[in-house]
Amino acid sequence: MAGGTLLNVVLFLPLLGALVAAILPRGEGSQHKAWALFVSLVVFLASLGLWFGFDPSRGAPEFQFETSVPWISALGIGYHVGLDGVALLLVMLTTALMPIVILAAWNSAQERVKEFFIALLFLETAMIGTFAALDLILFYVFYEAILIPMYLLIGVWGSSNRVYATVKFFVYTFAASVLMLVAILYVWMNDGKSFDYVVARNALQVTPAVGALLFGAFALAFAVKVPMFPLHTWLPDAHTEAPTAGSVILAGVLLKMGTFGFFRYAMPLFPEAALQYRGTIAAVATFGIAYGALMCFVQTDMKRLVAYSSVSHLGFVMLGMMAITAEGLTGSVYQMLNHGVSTGGLFLLVGMLYERRHTRLISEYGGLAKQVPWIATAFLVVTFSSIGLPGTNGFVGEFLILSGTWLSRLRSPGWYAAFGATGVVLGAVYMLVLVQKVFFGKITNPENRHLPDFSVREAFVITPVILLIVVMGLAPQPFLDPAKSSVDRLLARMQAAEQKLRKADPDLRPLTGTDPVALAFARPPAVPAAAPEPPPPGAAPAHGSH
Amino acid sequence: MPSSLDIAALLPFLLLVLGALVLMMSEVFLTSGGRGYQSGLTIAFGVAAAAAVPFAPQRVLFGGQAVSDGFSGFVAVVVCAGLVLSALLGRGWLTVRNMERGEYYALALFGASGMVLLGMATDLLLAFIAIEVMSLAVYSMAAYPRRGQRAPEAAFKYFILGSFASAILLYGSALFYGATGSTLLSSMRGGGGALLAAGLSLVLVGLAFKVAAVPFHAWTPDVYEGAPTPATAFMAAGVKAAAFAFLTRGVLAMVAGTPYAVGSELGGVLGFLAVLTMVVGNLFALPQRNVKRMLAYSSIAHAGYLLVGVVATTSPAARSQGLSAVLVYLAAYAFTVIGAFSVLAVLERRDPNPDVSAGGAWDISRFAGLASRRPWLAFAMAIFMLSLAGVPPTAGFVAKLSIFQSAAAANAWGLAVVGVLTSILGVYYYLRVVVAMYMRPAEVEEPSPAHATVVVAIAVTALVVVVVGFSPEPLAAWARAAVLGM
Repeated sequence: MAGGTLLNVVLFLPLLGALVAAILPRGEGSQHKAWALFVSLVVFLASLGLWFGFDPSRGAPEFQFETSVPWISALGIGYHVGLDGVALLLVMLTTALMPIVILAAWNSAQERVKEFFIALLFLETAMIGTFAALDLILFYVFYEAILIPMYLLIGVWGSSNRVYATVKFFVYTFAASVLMLVAILYVWMNDGKSFDYVVARNALQVTPAVGALLFGAFALAFAVKVPMFPLHTWLPDAHTEAPTAGSVILAGVLLKMGTFGFFRYAMPLFPEAALQYRGTIAAVATFGIAYGALMCFVQTDMKRLVAYSSVSHLGFVMLGMMAITAEGLTGSVYQMLNHGVSTGGLFLLVGMLYERRHTRLISEYGGLAKQVPWIATAFLVVTFSSIGLPGTNGFVGEFLILSGTWLSRLRSPGWYAAFGATGVVLGAVYMLVLVQKVFFGKITNPENRHLPDFSVREAFVITPVILLIVVMGLAPQPFLDPAKSSVDRLLARMQAAEQKLRKADPDLRPLTGTDPVALAFARPPAVPAAAPEPPPPGAAPAHGSH
Repeated sequence: MPSSLDIAALLPFLLLVLGALVLMMSEVFLTSGGRGYQSGLTIAFGVAAAAAVPFAPQRVLFGGQAVSDGFSGFVAVVVCAGLVLSALLGRGWLTVRNMERGEYYALALFGASGMVLLGMATDLLLAFIAIEVMSLAVYSMAAYPRRGQRAPEAAFKYFILGSFASAILLYGSALFYGATGSTLLSSMRGGGGALLAAGLSLVLVGLAFKVAAVPFHAWTPDVYEGAPTPATAFMAAGVKAAAFAFLTRGVLAMVAGTPYAVGSELGGVLGFLAVLTMVVGNLFALPQRNVKRMLAYSSIAHAGYLLVGVVATTSPAARSQGLSAVLVYLAAYAFTVIGAFSVLAVLERRDPNPDVSAGGAWDISRFAGLASRRPWLAFAMAIFMLSLAGVPPTAGFVAKLSIFQSAAAANAWGLAVVGVLTSILGVYYYLRVVVAMYMRPAEVEEPSPAHATVVVAIAVTALVVVVVGFSPEPLAAWARAAVLGM
């Protein structure tokens, strides 16, 4: 199929580019930069073909651009790739961020330029592969292969404490994901010996107790990657020590692998277990929102501050996903993209300031707005997106998540929503305080008097980010459309699981979809299509699943 | 009378023996024009022996004492690959130290012939002979540099402990003979009783020593460290492959013939050994600053992972999967570890008096900053380290995956979990080498340029590790075909 070929091209072109770069002469760094930029731009253009070729309509097949051939047939492992809407969005995020990142790293990688850009291109293939894989082992391979270039990016080109940070990053992530490998093997044993995701999802037969363990193994791997409180401690170190390119990719794409993993693997494969533990996960996510936000107040290092804000933002994504309502899930997917764009943008801008002053300490700055008005403006726009100001993309995501949580059938959802909303409030405070400390007031540090504003290259770096923020804020529909069918399918899967649970326990309170009582505030009660056979209002017993 | 088919089945073994004899003679008669050709001759015999494997017919030999089948063929190829690569490494290593002699290659060929024979053995007596041929050659290779004290000390230690293990193996064989009236593995069929159990336990102990399974591993670090690096590489790749081949055959025979496998006693004992070996090997490798010693402990850990595959073969549902997983693992490990030792050999300090440098010759600081001085060498070492750690996309990952998959098929979930958890430790100590190469400034003098043959060895092994990592199908399919009918 032609579409399948296109996905394979997008997937392997960066790797091919990396191989070509390996033979280019070492001495000519600019040649490597230009080559990497060229390859990433071609990949982006090719991925536009995926974007426009994707059919988001209801009747379209779930996975498009599919290729399925045996890879290691002796072990039963296939090369099966394809994209659903969410994967498509994340692949687009990856291919769009990559040229920006390469352009941003133009001058920052001074030594071993060749290896730097080879690592970036290798990373791109691995990232796209993680989103495109439809075979569990293939997914695991890409998921783990990411660690190698990222480990080098942080460890070789990072700042002073880089070795500690990169080893922590590698060991933390690797340790969390090995149990997922065992879980994958267990799935293989119990779905008729297939590693294929589509087969596994339909054929997997496990007891609830085992299902919970398997869900736990997957969830642990992804929770570290997200990262969810209290497994987040590798993130501030990795972000702080990584070079700008590493931070942007880490925030923009790598963290999404955790949330994507929940969306694609942990929840659809083990829906019963997901329903059982969603309350716990949502509570932890909500706590993480507030915790991450509060940690931001005490940071003296800009990158560390942005890193903790990531913990908070990803908490929103997880909360929306665990709400298991159409709004929550959609918002969660949208927030993944937003976080990639806005936090990526923040890291880009912090990186630019760092290149000028070689410090990330907030106290070293102050009053920059007079000196570098364009950087200040861009920073403010990205900040608005990060704190979810209406008109920016952040608002759409956070609104959907909070309303989805409010309407959900989590136990006392109002508390989750209310507690989560503190993150929005705190987020506005710490980000605006940061902007004020860095950009406004008087220039106290004489070294800040002669900083140059955007160069042409930097303008090219930041303009697409700003454009995305505005377009995704004002016209979110084109970005929501591809996600819709994926969200609907996941919701239907969770509802089917709920019905199965109800067969075992007829008194089970409704778990998925929106709560008609909560909706009654907004419109007259109606039988929601989302929850089949809802018990009469008020008859729902207070005790829930076990 | 041996038929021509018997000869054909034994051809790989015979070629290696012939090669050993030729090399011995060459040292006597043909050294006036230099010794450069000797390694070439060794490689030629190694390649010829490997090339003879596909032509070896499936056949029972020596009245059932040995068998030529796909499994023995696979082991023979792995052993020959180990021989060829370590001869390439030996050529460079020995030449620059002015130690190159024909005996070294003759010993290597004798050792390889013993390994190939061990891969075919289905009889305790023949296995004992094969083990002795292999071991005596390897002891001597370990003692090869006569200057200094470390190598002789290592060899002596290896010899004493190895002989002790051989004696235990022999004692076990005697009890086995007493119980069954034969030394053929197949004579276990229908057997039982305390005498057989005692005999089999002692045989198992002897083999556990050879594969360096905990608690019979204590010799490994000192011997690996003290032996000349090419010999260590050969040991790690070849001895392990051959010993595991016979261990696996023995376990299969026990499963088929004795009541021990039914009540999962056998699986329990082997599983216990596997857990102990994985945990201890990885834990002891953690604090090592001496890279050669770290690789020694890591070889213990890898024996643990291989034992997991052997345990899987005790379950009927997972037998063929376990067998092919063991083969894939042996092949992947052989290439990776020879590559790693080759890089180590390049960086090794060349002191006139090797005792002064002690462990410092392989200290991790010698790797510091390697990536900026020798980017390709560092890149190759990084590949080997990642492969040993089992990170995709390398051969090591494919090997670990197939081992754990076979454990899953055997429902040995505990072993799979312990396996993946201990491999986390592995990531830490293997990455330390990568950290040193890529993220630390150089501390020591520029390493001397690598000998051309060593470069070839490193390039070939690195290429194999990466290619198998990306496209493991040929290797996996070959291993799968090799164990058909076992």
